[in-house]
Amino acid sequence: MDMNEIKEIFFQECEEQLAELESGLLRLNDGDRDPETVNAVFRAVHSIKGGAGAFGLDDLVSFAHVFETTLDCVRSNKLEPNQEVLKVMLKSADVLADLTNVARDGGSVDQARSKQLIRELEALANGSPLPTASAAPAPVPAAKPAAPVAAAPAANDQGFMPVAFSFDEFGGDESDSADQPTYEVVFKPKSDLYTKGNEATLLLRDLSRLGEMSIHCDMSNLPPLEELDPEAAYFWWKISIKTDKGEDAVRSVFEFAEWDCDLEVSEVGDESAVVASDLPMQPVPFDLSALDDEGDASAAMAEEQENLASAQRDEAVAAAETASNVLQMAGNASRAASESAKNAAAAAAQNNAQQASSAVAPTIRVDLDRVDRLINLVGELVINQAMLSQSVIENDNNGTSSINMGLEELQQLTREIQDSVMAIRAQPVKPVFQRMARTVREIADITGKSVRLVTEGENTEVDKTVIDKLAEPLTHMIRNAVDHGLEMPEKRLAAGKSAEGTVKLTAKHRSGRIVIELSDDGAGINRTKVRQKAIDNDLITADANLSDEEIDNLIFHAGFSTADKVSDLSGRGVGMDVVKRSIQALGGRINISSKPGHGSTFTMSLPLTLAVLDGMVVTVAGQTLVVPLTAIVETLQPEAAAIHSFGATQRLISIRNSFCPLVDVGRILNFRSTQANPVEGVALLVESEGGGQRALMVDAIQGQRQVVIKSLEANYTHVPGIAAATILGDGRVALILDVDSVVSASRGHSLQLEASLAAAG
Amino acid sequence: MASKKAAHKSLSLPPILDLNEASALRGKLVALRGNSLVVDASAVERVGALCLQVLMAGARSWEEDKKSFTFTKVSDAFTKTTQLIGVNIDHLMAKEI
Repeated sequence: MDMNEIKEIFFQECEEQLAELESGLLRLNDGDRDPETVNAVFRAVHSIKGGAGAFGLDDLVSFAHVFETTLDCVRSNKLEPNQEVLKVMLKSADVLADLTNVARDGGSVDQARSKQLIRELEALANGSPLPTASAAPAPVPAAKPAAPVAAAPAANDQGFMPVAFSFDEFGGDESDSADQPTYEVVFKPKSDLYTKGNEATLLLRDLSRLGEMSIHCDMSNLPPLEELDPEAAYFWWKISIKTDKGEDAVRSVFEFAEWDCDLEVSEVGDESAVVASDLPMQPVPFDLSALDDEGDASAAMAEEQENLASAQRDEAVAAAETASNVLQMAGNASRAASESAKNAAAAAAQNNAQQASSAVAPTIRVDLDRVDRLINLVGELVINQAMLSQSVIENDNNGTSSINMGLEELQQLTREIQDSVMAIRAQPVKPVFQRMARTVREIADITGKSVRLVTEGENTEVDKTVIDKLAEPLTHMIRNAVDHGLEMPEKRLAAGKSAEGTVKLTAKHRSGRIVIELSDDGAGINRTKVRQKAIDNDLITADANLSDEEIDNLIFHAGFSTADKVSDLSGRGVGMDVVKRSIQALGGRINISSKPGHGSTFTMSLPLTLAVLDGMVVTVAGQTLVVPLTAIVETLQPEAAAIHSFGATQRLISIRNSFCPLVDVGRILNFRSTQANPVEGVALLVESEGGGQRALMVDAIQGQRQVVIKSLEANYTHVPGIAAATILGDGRVALILDVDSVVSASRGHSLQLEASLAAAG
Repeated sequence: MASKKAAHKSLSLPPILDLNEASALRGKLVALRGNSLVVDASAVERVGALCLQVLMAGARSWEEDKKSFTFTKVSDAFTKTTQLIGVNIDHLMAKEI
């Protein structure tokens, strides 16, 4: 595995961590105060920082570091995660995502934005008021032990220069801690630490550089040589270190190994006494005396303390042998006692956390290529199975029912395999929805509106290709919803609504398709304005009589934007028509319903997969075609009386007292030169672009079946009016009709190459 | 304590004693079990906690067998690391006769 591959994995993990981060923050935003949620958020940022550090991505590291610091304050309950705090954190998560993207793909980030956020995060960590965006750079935050921001140690140095003066001779407890605080570190590596290539000796060396250190290595866990796993961790250490760099500096030594070891850092001094008294501990006989004459603690006492601590862990420590090493650790016995209790608690917490995470189903990462190859092969299998059954039927071996039974089973099996393989590609829409949360935040910020995004059904699964192609139209629609749909807060209040607008994004499965709904509780579509605009743009005539629904659908016309002025967000001429086209390119449909004063709802219905398609197999001029079932509203057998001529070539069919243009598919695709007789064929009523219905004329219907989509572009070249191809049971290639382009061709436009690729991608 | 009897064996440690070396080192020690052992750590440039674990487990096993397990000629790096991580090998050092 070379460096690039490792880096790629890191970025993939980053994506997951960022998703985890965002969903955690959103949960906090909704009032979740579970410490595990805060931990998960913290871990996500921490892992990103750790990985980024390994690859030397300094920008990412420094931002993640500040972010992490603030999160740590939340974790340690120093900072209440209120709305204001979370707003900053959500923005920081966005910037972190940006920095990650920049690190991967190059480009640049908005430096001013990330700097501003760093200031805000630092302010939060220090408990000072948030700097405003326009304010001059915030003053360097006062150094606090709780804020290991890059600036802190420096400020520390300038603020109170450490004086090289030893209080040792006084032997006093107070003066000792006032000079250089002593920290006790219990460092128990897990085997993972070593297998991940970390080295305890290097960590200890880094630690020793912080100050004067004394160390005790506990070897009591060491098994006999025969039973020893050479790559497991047995040694653990108790270290006492005198340093003026603060507890965070001590912790930061272990930061890249934090999850692979049990680490306990505590300051020796009055704080420890508080901790000890807080714990429901049995009385420790040495407590007071140890405090009294700490300065000249004897070796014997150290030994006894060591014994006490070990006894509590049921471990036989060779204390005598190592007594010399713990001499300086004779802080007090209560420390050792409380420490072991804390260790136990920490271990328990760790276990819980691990159990929680192990409840998640195990997953593996697979190259998308491999899955696609598998899907392709299964497609071939389905085709082959169909061919096999067909040839058995053709040979008409009625006598051998066992063959028929076997074939049926084979068919079921292949169908099942196909479904399972498709399920591999299926992914929850969650990541896309999460991205939308960011879009909403950003636009709300720019427009000065207050918006809440409610998502539902994030775990609804759909093919990865669909997900990938969904993001863009969805972003566009969300922008529209916030920018055009929702009113300004004052206006909302005036209308008797809450100042905060709600945009709701839901996904659900419905009859083999995924339905995504986007609704806002804004003003709804201003029909008068839309109508006027359509008239101005010559889309409709001034006296056209349109239903409300038809007016609503006008916004899907090219170049239609109702915003009074062109804003940064929407109204760049790229309108809902683009959205509609991309949804249709996915084989989907989009509808709008709007209630003035109550908001609009966009409903998109998309196929679950782009690899198979339910289609109606029809014959046109001796050719076999497949019409996507989703496009077909109904089929009917035209009667001569229902057919009416219209103009020179056009014909209409009357269906239940309304007229619908007849489209001769064979004619448009140039399969034949003369017009077919509608009475001899079948009409398929289809819904097409623009909402209108058309009757497609075909010669006969063969049946309805699921077909495996084969790209025509990849194997041949794009053919106007044809979306893709498939292989039928008899081994022949059948073309899948692009309903929309055929319909638009019937309107007098000739078939064009850039016509949309309906039904198949 | 360096014994000069027939059962006396010696083991020279390689320069790098890291994660990759730990298993091999354990294998070597297991094979030498039952003999008095002199470990030559003079070539060691880098030693990790895992290998020290193996060596200490070895020393303990040798002690159980009542055989001598001594370090002779330790390199600076080896001494420094053992001191750094608080592993005391003083009692295992070969004494001048």
